[in-house]
Amino acid sequence: MLRYLDKNRQATVIAGGTDLVPRIERRIVRPKLLVDISGLHELRYIESQGDEIKLGALTTISDLAESSALAAHHEVFRQVSYKFGAPPIRNVGTVGGNVAAASSSEDLIPVFLALDANVQLSSINGKRSLPLQEFLLGKRKVDLRQGELISEISFRKMTESSCCSFEKVGRRNSLIIALVSSAVHLDLDPKQMRINQIRAAFNRVRGKIPERAHLMEETLHGKQLNDETVNEGLRALESELMLTTDYRASADYRKRAARICFEKALTHCAAKIIG
Amino acid sequence: MSRHVVVLEVNGRRHRLRVESHERLLDLLRDRLGYTSVKEGCGTGDCGACAVLVNGRIVNSCLMLAVQARNAKVETLEGLGTANKLHPLQKAFIRNSAFQCGFCASGVMLSAKDLLQRNQNPSRDEIRKAISGVICRCTGYMKMVDAIEEAAAEMRGETVG
Repeated sequence: MLRYLDKNRQATVIAGGTDLVPRIERRIVRPKLLVDISGLHELRYIESQGDEIKLGALTTISDLAESSALAAHHEVFRQVSYKFGAPPIRNVGTVGGNVAAASSSEDLIPVFLALDANVQLSSINGKRSLPLQEFLLGKRKVDLRQGELISEISFRKMTESSCCSFEKVGRRNSLIIALVSSAVHLDLDPKQMRINQIRAAFNRVRGKIPERAHLMEETLHGKQLNDETVNEGLRALESELMLTTDYRASADYRKRAARICFEKALTHCAAKIIG
Repeated sequence: MSRHVVVLEVNGRRHRLRVESHERLLDLLRDRLGYTSVKEGCGTGDCGACAVLVNGRIVNSCLMLAVQARNAKVETLEGLGTANKLHPLQKAFIRNSAFQCGFCASGVMLSAKDLLQRNQNPSRDEIRKAISGVICRCTGYMKMVDAIEEAAAEMRGETVG
């Protein structure tokens, strides 16, 4: 397969097709050569290795929701799965495809950003791995070189003191593009209530792709978790969110919803860690 | 544009066909094989009117290329029951008047079948989530959930109706 992709540089890869097929139908993209990788079962796995979780690029969204390996400590995948499209989409849509699509409607991207996930790319020259944050270059732009295939997403496992949670606001529960979504990863000292580390990603921050809210993260890093510091964090968030108005929602609504999504996810994480 | 030979099974019948690269499973099922229960609503995966079972799981046939269904077992509403021997889901939908226009019927019942294959005793919430990929614009979902609950009970061997 990798040799084929290397030889046929004009190839467009198709897996679940949930993003690509309607784009072909609408003539938004006109692939000269489609390469179907949906049968590559070796890229469909959920592995727990050492302190890492590895997801094969062809793992479906339903696989994530139904995985017993993820059920105990990574309930974030159950949360995001139930808000991701609907069953017919989740049964074929893949982890790799969601990352490759690189837009603010891809619900898994904020989760992977909050988990500080790495993307592994394979080509005939070997493998290359980079943080998802660097892989995403802009709306529908990713750092995928010719002949490369997204092969794996990996991230560090949750510990006793960490948790990740996802929230999404849309006009309905199923089959909806998020107006706002947020994923929060919190590492908290449960005795001192000190924030060891926090990462928060939103479907939009400065542009039209999911990004982390670095300013807010820095504001909260190392602080005690209490109402006062959370408010400080929210003010930082407010200042760094450059949201826009469109036919789906106003910038003002998005800002308020982002705040609520973040607070809900943070509260959920803190409650889970404290127990 | 290239053509491919695809072998697939639809409702237990084996088909061997030449398909074009861009041909969708929806086009193959509806236009070429005549399974007209498979409807095209939005063509973008938003409505579920085209939903069929592929290897037992519900998928939108408008989002799947025909070549991707090679060697797959596909099930459409035509395969659910016959006029003389209706499937418990079909009987329950009739008893509960769970359809008006019927455009979404196929997607809803097949979504329910996918659920009932994995969960014999689903809660109302699980049923609602399972059929959430199909949009109904006339009957509403209450009667459908009632019907699926009843069908599940019948399939467990309980007396209903």
